[in-house]
Amino acid sequence: MIEVERLSKRFGPVTAVDDLSFTVRPGRVTGFLGPNGAGKTTTMRIILGLAAPTSGRALVGGRRYDRLIRPLREVGSLLDATALHAGRTGWAHLWSIAQANGIAKQRVTEVLGLTGLESVARRRVGGFSLGMKQRLGIAAALLGDPPVLMFDEPVNGLDPEGIHWIRGFFRELAADGRTVLVSSHLMSEMAQTADHLVIIGRGRLLADVPTAELIESSARRDVLLRTPRAAELAALIKARGGTVTRQDDGALVVTGLDAAAIGDLAAGDGIAVHALVPRQASLEDAYLDLTGESTDYRGRLQ
Amino acid sequence: MSAPSLATRALDLLGSEWTKFRSVRSTYWSLLVAVVTPIAVSAVVAFAFTTAPGHGPPPDPLLPGVISLEYAVIAISVLGVLAFSAEYSTGLIRVTFTAAPRRRAVLAAKAVVLAAVTLAAGEVVAFVSFGLVQAVLAGHGQGVSLGHPGVLGAVLCAGLLLCVCALLGLALGAIIRHTAGGIAATIAVILVPGIAALLPAPWNGRVGRFTLLEAAQQVSALHPAANLFSPGWSLLVLLAWPAAGLAAAALVITRRDA
Repeated sequence: MIEVERLSKRFGPVTAVDDLSFTVRPGRVTGFLGPNGAGKTTTMRIILGLAAPTSGRALVGGRRYDRLIRPLREVGSLLDATALHAGRTGWAHLWSIAQANGIAKQRVTEVLGLTGLESVARRRVGGFSLGMKQRLGIAAALLGDPPVLMFDEPVNGLDPEGIHWIRGFFRELAADGRTVLVSSHLMSEMAQTADHLVIIGRGRLLADVPTAELIESSARRDVLLRTPRAAELAALIKARGGTVTRQDDGALVVTGLDAAAIGDLAAGDGIAVHALVPRQASLEDAYLDLTGESTDYRGRLQ
Repeated sequence: MSAPSLATRALDLLGSEWTKFRSVRSTYWSLLVAVVTPIAVSAVVAFAFTTAPGHGPPPDPLLPGVISLEYAVIAISVLGVLAFSAEYSTGLIRVTFTAAPRRRAVLAAKAVVLAAVTLAAGEVVAFVSFGLVQAVLAGHGQGVSLGHPGVLGAVLCAGLLLCVCALLGLALGAIIRHTAGGIAATIAVILVPGIAALLPAPWNGRVGRFTLLEAAQQVSALHPAANLFSPGWSLLVLLAWPAAGLAAAALVITRRDA
């Protein structure tokens, strides 16, 4: 479990994280979502004890990260897969990290197997592709077999096969009962990976919801309608309990009645219908609405 | 899982830093240059003292060996700087500090590994150079043997120079966090105070006695200079330079975000 409590981080005049609170629970993949610059990486760095918060605190398993004796056995993390010494072999990289936490050599071999890197382990990482570096970073995160895992933008730079692999991998980790936090700036990516979403914008919490709930609430279903006898049909729709709004271009947007019902109504009175389009807002739209609102909100404040 | 003892954790961290140290090529290149250059130079310096026109014997039979060691200063300083700056410049430092959140322990582990290797390298260089220099000087009837009073201690102290410079480089690499900047700063801190030698007497000695290289020469001399600190005090001055650097690094390393 990861607990972020009223966390704030200022860099001079810039507030990167602003009074942020959320809890990441075990047994599910939690997506940590926000536009670039929203404060995701800063929050993760604070959780990992790499950066000091201006106020508030972050706890992992109930303790501050820098108080952990064998941190990699409690938290595995990958912030930047390219943060490697190009001249070191993959094996030496992992072994040096393992040693610092009293992890046996055999476990290095195991995580190399889990990530499919056995055959390249003795090569210098300077020659690794970005996908191989991501796998190496994930191998490092798994070294301590930790109950909590954090990945910052792990999908960046992966090919479709790699993305498929990594999604399944996160699900397996969560199914094991682990706490899995995965950041991304792409809603479409998180919609397919995460069970729960923590969405931030400009360092503030915007939403902390199950993915399914967000999809449900965001599913703005309506029907776009064009007809030459708009006023008459609108009256009929309202009489049947629908809600009608008129767009600037003369089209009607109907909620509360589905396309079939509207079509039947129109046909019953011999009203011509030129367009009848059921519409559904995507999760991406919901996300843009959320993060866009945060921008507007801040803009009005200032 | 019971909490591992402090000694176990210290050994784990030393093992980790040792693996990092020996798994990159820059380590071997720096050490090779730092060991081969002064040994090669030592015989030449000794010849120069005995054969150059207008030169008599060296003022101190150990001086050629000490001068030769100074040719290793840049390579060994680079080795020290890289231990931290390479991690900062690649971002690897975040991996290191997530694996070991006690940053001063990381600094200490790096210092111990670096000190052990560079001390061994420095002593090898000091003794091999000594042998070569004395072989050359002996041909002119000016050599001394290791058994001569004061010689063994002086040669041992001469071997400290590489370790001192490497640790100073480590500290400045941790403070500056950039490779080029760290190397430039380390070389500057070691060499620039040398201008004290150009001051008019007695100030050349009064200021010069505090410089790293004068202190190194003083502890490595068979006949210490009269205007500098005694060899004992000079040894303290020599060790104070990396000690001060490491203390400063220990202060800033925990205060900055990584």
